[in-house]
Amino acid sequence: MRVGRALFAVSGFGASGPGRRRPWDVASWLLVAGGLLVWWLCARFPAELPPFAPWEFSLVEFLGTLLPALWYVRGLLRAPAAERPGRARQVAFLGGVGIIYAVLQTHFVYLAQHMFFLNRLQHLAMHHLGPFLVALSWPAETMLLGMPGGLRRHLEAAPVRIFLRVVQTPLVGGVLFVGLIALWLQPTIHFHAMISPLLYDVMNWSMVLDGLLFWFFALDPRPSLPAPSSFVARLATVLLVMFPQILMGARITFGTHPLYSYYDLCGRLFPQISALHDQHLGGLIVWIPSSMMSSVALMLIMNNIRLHEDRSGGGGQRDILAPGGTVISSSSWTGR
Amino acid sequence: MPDALSRRRLLATTLAAAPLADCGNSRPWHDIDVSGALPALDLTMRRAPGGAVFTQADVRGKVALLYFGYTYCPDVCPLTLQHLAMVLARMGPVSADVRVLFVTVDPNRDTLAELGRYVALFGPGIIGLRGTPDGLGRLARRYRVAYSVTPPGGGHGYEVTHSSAIYAFDRTGAARLLIPSMASSAPDIAGVAADLGRLVHERPSLLRRVEALV
Repeated sequence: MRVGRALFAVSGFGASGPGRRRPWDVASWLLVAGGLLVWWLCARFPAELPPFAPWEFSLVEFLGTLLPALWYVRGLLRAPAAERPGRARQVAFLGGVGIIYAVLQTHFVYLAQHMFFLNRLQHLAMHHLGPFLVALSWPAETMLLGMPGGLRRHLEAAPVRIFLRVVQTPLVGGVLFVGLIALWLQPTIHFHAMISPLLYDVMNWSMVLDGLLFWFFALDPRPSLPAPSSFVARLATVLLVMFPQILMGARITFGTHPLYSYYDLCGRLFPQISALHDQHLGGLIVWIPSSMMSSVALMLIMNNIRLHEDRSGGGGQRDILAPGGTVISSSSWTGR
Repeated sequence: MPDALSRRRLLATTLAAAPLADCGNSRPWHDIDVSGALPALDLTMRRAPGGAVFTQADVRGKVALLYFGYTYCPDVCPLTLQHLAMVLARMGPVSADVRVLFVTVDPNRDTLAELGRYVALFGPGIIGLRGTPDGLGRLARRYRVAYSVTPPGGGHGYEVTHSSAIYAFDRTGAARLLIPSMASSAPDIAGVAADLGRLVHERPSLLRRVEALV
C-alpha cells in the first residue's frame, strides 16, 4: 500500500501544485523506453507483428501520438472534477489521436502504400478527420496540466507564438491547407514521396501538423480577440477551402489517363482493380469527404457563434416596456 | 542527440537534392531514375541451391537487379526472367558485371533446390535468393514492395501476388533505376540494355559512394 502510494507520487500521476517540487516524469520516460522496445521488436520480427503494431516504426510518430495522449489522460486525472472536460470531448481527443496513430503506424500503412484510394483515405484521416476531432475537443487546458513543466515553457516561447500568429490567419492557413493537398497530389512529387522513405515521412508529418494548425484555427470556440481572427473570417476560410479540393477531386475522378504510376510499379493490393478505377475511387475520396468536413465545420463555427452570443448576454434582445408597467421579456418565449 | 539515425536522415536529405545538382550533366534514362530516393541495397538471404548466406557485399562491384517473384508463377515471372536473360545476352561480354537477384516471395513452397533449378533455366547471371519471412518482410518494406501469400481454402487455391518492377543498383550498391514491368509482350530490351551498360561503365563518383552508405 505504501509502496503503491510512493510509486503513484513518483510517476507524476498525482495532483501537482505550484508549491511542490516536481517529481521526475517517470510515466513519459517509461513510454519512451517502451517505444525503443517496440522499435527493436519491429526491426527484429517484421513478419510476425500484429496488425496494430507499427509497420515502419518511427520514434517521432510513435511518441508524437502516444505522449500527448498520456499527457491528456494525466491532465484529466489531475484536474478537479468540476473543471474536467465532458465525456464527448474526451472521446473526441482520444479518438482523434487514435485515428492519427492508426493511420501513421499500424498495418494500415502497408495497405495505404499499395492502393491509391487507400492512400487518399490515409490522407483524409491524417489531414481532415483526426486533427478535426483533436481540435474539436479543445484540449489545451487539460494537456497543459498533464505536460512536463519544461515543455510548457518551450511551447509558450516567442518563435512558436510568432509562427502561430503567421500561420493561423485565414489567408495563410487556407492556402497552406489546400496547397499541401495539391502539392502531394502532383504526379511526379507523389511518386517520389511514395518511394522515398524520407519524403514519405515529410509528407505524412506535414499533413498531420497542417491539419492540426488549420482545424485548431477554424474550430476555436473563442471570439475575435483572444482568437487570431473573427468568426466570420473563419467561416469564409472553411467555406473557400472546399472548392479547390472539389476541383482536384473532380480532375482526378474524371481523368482518362492514369496519373500515379507508383502503384503499378510497386504492386497493387487488389490487382483486380485497374489503375483507372483505383484513381476514380481516390478522386471521389478527395472530392466528397473534404466537402463534408467543411460543411460540418461551418455548422460547428456557427454553433460557436451562438454559444458566444449566449455567453455575452442573449444577442441583443431587449425587454419591451409596454404601457401600464408590464415588461415583455423575450426570454418567456426563447427560454434564455 | 545526434545518433546514427538522424545522421543518416541528414545525409539522405542532402542527397535527395543531389539529382538536382547534377541534372545538367546526365542524359535521360530509358527507365525511371530513382537515384537518391530509394535506400541502398541491403539484404541477407540464402543463395540457391547451396544455401550459402548472401548479402549486398556479394554483389558489390557489380550492377544488381532486384526482382521479386515465385517459382510457381504461371506467367509474369518466367516472362520477366526470360526478357532479362535477353537483355543480358544483348549486352554481350559486359553482362558479366550484371547480376539478377530473384528473391522468392513464397519461401514456404520454394525450397532452395527448386529455386536453384528454376533460375538455372534462364541463364548464369541470375541468382535465386530465399530468405526467412522476417528477412523478406524487411526487404519488402525497404523497397515498398507489395506481396501476399494466401494458402488455399474458402473456395480458392494457393494465391500469390507480387509487384513486377525491377530495381537496379549500381556498382556501389546505391539504388539508381526502377525498371517498369518487363512482363509485357513488347518490353524495351534495347533501352534496358543501354541503361545497364551505362551503369556498368559509369565511374562511381564520390556522390554515389556516399549515397550507397544511406
